Amino acid sequence: MKPTVTWDVAAASHLLSRTEFGGTPKRSEQLAARNLHDVVAALLDEAKAAVPPPKPGWVKEPWVNTERVYPETTPMERMENHRKAGERQTRERNELRCWWLDHMIRTPAPLREVMTLFWHGHFTTEAKRMFVAQPLYTQNAATRTHALGNFRDLLEAVTLDAAMIMYLNMEDSDAKKPNENFARELLELFTVGIGNYSERDIKEIARALTGWTLDAPPGTAKRPTVADASRTFCRDGLVPTFVKEKHDAGEKTVLGKTGKFGVKEVLGIVAAHPATARFVSTKLITYFGASDPRNELRDRMAAKFGQTKGDIAATLAVLLTSPEFFAKESRGTLIKSPVHLLVGACRLLNLDVTATPSLAQVTAAMGQELFNPPNVKGWPGGRDWISSGSLAVRYHLPEALFDGKEPAGFEPIATDRNFALPADEKARKELIARIQNFDKKRREERKKDGFKVTFDPAKALDGAVPEKAEALVAALTTKLFVVAPRPDTTAVLTEVVKDLPAAERVKLACRLILTTPEYQLA
Amino acid sequence: MLPMIDRRRFLSVGALTATVPGFLAKTGSLLADDKSLANKERVLVVVQLAGGNDGLNTLIPFRDDAYYKARPKIGIARTKSLKIADDFALHPEVGDLRKLYDAGELAVVPNVGYPNPNRSHFRATEIWETATPEKDVLTGWVGRYFDAECRGVPSPMLGLQLGEKPAMTFAHPKGRAVTLTNPSLFKWDDATGQAMERLNRVATTDNPQLDFLQRTGNDTLSLSRKIQDALKDGKSGAEYAPFNFSQSLKVVAQMIAAEVPTRVYYVSLGGFDTHTTQTGRHAGLLQELSQGIGSFVADLKALGHLDRTLVMSFSEFGRRVSENEQQGTDHGTAGVMFLAGGKVKAGVHGSRPDLSDLDEGDLKFKTDFRSVYSAVLKDWFAADASKVLGAEFKHLPILA
Repeated sequence: MKPTVTWDVAAASHLLSRTEFGGTPKRSEQLAARNLHDVVAALLDEAKAAVPPPKPGWVKEPWVNTERVYPETTPMERMENHRKAGERQTRERNELRCWWLDHMIRTPAPLREVMTLFWHGHFTTEAKRMFVAQPLYTQNAATRTHALGNFRDLLEAVTLDAAMIMYLNMEDSDAKKPNENFARELLELFTVGIGNYSERDIKEIARALTGWTLDAPPGTAKRPTVADASRTFCRDGLVPTFVKEKHDAGEKTVLGKTGKFGVKEVLGIVAAHPATARFVSTKLITYFGASDPRNELRDRMAAKFGQTKGDIAATLAVLLTSPEFFAKESRGTLIKSPVHLLVGACRLLNLDVTATPSLAQVTAAMGQELFNPPNVKGWPGGRDWISSGSLAVRYHLPEALFDGKEPAGFEPIATDRNFALPADEKARKELIARIQNFDKKRREERKKDGFKVTFDPAKALDGAVPEKAEALVAALTTKLFVVAPRPDTTAVLTEVVKDLPAAERVKLACRLILTTPEYQLA
Repeated sequence: MLPMIDRRRFLSVGALTATVPGFLAKTGSLLADDKSLANKERVLVVVQLAGGNDGLNTLIPFRDDAYYKARPKIGIARTKSLKIADDFALHPEVGDLRKLYDAGELAVVPNVGYPNPNRSHFRATEIWETATPEKDVLTGWVGRYFDAECRGVPSPMLGLQLGEKPAMTFAHPKGRAVTLTNPSLFKWDDATGQAMERLNRVATTDNPQLDFLQRTGNDTLSLSRKIQDALKDGKSGAEYAPFNFSQSLKVVAQMIAAEVPTRVYYVSLGGFDTHTTQTGRHAGLLQELSQGIGSFVADLKALGHLDRTLVMSFSEFGRRVSENEQQGTDHGTAGVMFLAGGKVKAGVHGSRPDLSDLDEGDLKFKTDFRSVYSAVLKDWFAADASKVLGAEFKHLPILA
């Protein structure tokens, strides 16, 4: 017999925990009163219609490189420009993290952000390897625009965007020596996945993608920089630009198809490849935490992806209405990502919060720094979120949210060495002092706003704070857990609450709840 | 931490403080009181050079014109490189490694790889960490060693990694390793700790993820005390550079000196994926590697623990022989491994790579990396290497 979905309050709560960073009991009841397919269609429609957040004030169109080095630039000027630009990048990156976190906490259509976060882990860029912050924003905006749109459009938008062009070295790839970095990741991580291509395909795609670079907007007057300057010091702009002379216009064979391909043809071929439909479906299944041991859900999603030529929302609808997604094995078994953990707590407890760099650092310390995934593969998720190290950080979350205090050790032990230091001891010591001073200033800059979070017990419980300890604990665990609390959890929380004056009860119960094994699950 | 008033109340709640589970109390005091469990056994420190270290610019075949022909812009000049053997010189920034070499404390293995090399960072890293190139497996080679040879050792952290992402080297269904970014995170006040201990007491459910979280929570709480104890003196026998990799090694040295029951440590140095303008960046990374290991060896020597310590570095692949158009190098194949410590057989263990016999622009490996692992397992840990690695590998005489 074909399994069916029992659509009730618990199922609605499950759906909201995966698609909206968690939902209140009241909202779950409202959704449960409607039909599952209508509910999912409405969630997707609301997410698609959501208005994107206004762009940060520092985003400039066109972007201007303030670090260009001209023949007459003195070494002093060059250093000063580089220093100022570095400080600005640090500030902009911090603001960018806060900007997104703030939007995730406040948005009325969280599914759009949940999907933007999904694509952020798929089409990655590591902030630590980018010398300018603006592309991090444009890539984020591109993934948000197409988050629930068409996969082929999304793929092109992120490929021909400054972030990807810089990050995976397309910028200087020319016919003489094509750079294979993007071509490899395009196949391995973005589309067809391992096992569906050869080393030869990588080389051929690298050839097809030659000729793309970043430049000032067309028609801008150019002032020549010094010869041989590195990209940081000679880049004129961030507009993806095709330079015909550097393109390899010859014939290529890509995944069995042959022609004089350029970037658009290649993206068309890989996006339409059946392995891409399966690869993207599998990633969505993992991200949303459905159990699909026989790949049946994957195959139904991949079929929909194929029929609709890559309609992401339609593919996701198959997942969110599937018996697999609502099966027992899928319930309460997804380990929350750090962003999910933090954003969910802020939203469900109705905290009065403004995202600051210190707040953004909380997710970073737990292993998910926005805009800075560990590598090009993004965050693996699942049990990889949890180790003794990251769990120890999770135990400090209440200090950040309820005491407004940053615990020690939220950053790595020390900074990285990015260049060789001189052998001369005096020069070396001076340089180390400069690096440490820079690092100290960077930390101080990040911490200067502290935390802006206020907790209100009445708001946390949506206005109704039960008087009896048992009832209070039940109300909080019902709201904050998707799994049933273990007997010990209820017992400990109840004991604690009983002995406290009413004014302190809710807050203390919440801080302990945040450290329970149950709360880590969605 | 809990605010003052809550802390006092907490302590007044008898049920919260009176029932620290028995086994927790035991593991919590393991290090402080029970010296019988102190680790005087040998330890291994695995150093991962993440991103694919350029072996040819680390250990330079400086007599080979083909090397300079393939790398007109980024090749390391003969005059600048540090000659260590007839055919080989080291990168100019690894002076500390050169000193170890001269002191008989560094072994170098060139041209290390495996058949049918993979050029994906992730798969290649998995291959090195699982020591199983032929197929996907879910266990790491050290994870299997712990399972095969260390069952009787009562420690939840036989493996200890300083870093963010748990290394597959330790992976095993019966995991015995811990990953942490910064040891100062393992501090909270007693009342909070005790409440959390009760909230994380394992009560098996029908949800495997919930059980996994309970178990890891338990381990985390019992570890916290152990780590704080080991690091509280902060004794150090050497100066370390103020950078992440060096400072991580400093912590490892403190743990080794405190004789915590850990057998294998794991530290990463990342950033070796030098596709563009690699010269300056690679020099900085090698300098950090060299100074970090230099300080670490000096430290352990001063503290009297060098004889029981072996350092081994690896990277997921070397890089292509020819430089690319952007003064960098793309993903390649065979690379170089370093072993340092009091009991290594110093020298270069292998011949120079043949740049006239390449496989589509890449080196053909001459030493299988599992031969190196095999030597470490057999000669360092006196373990059954073929059982851990699933096959016999040629014996490499790199350890005394």
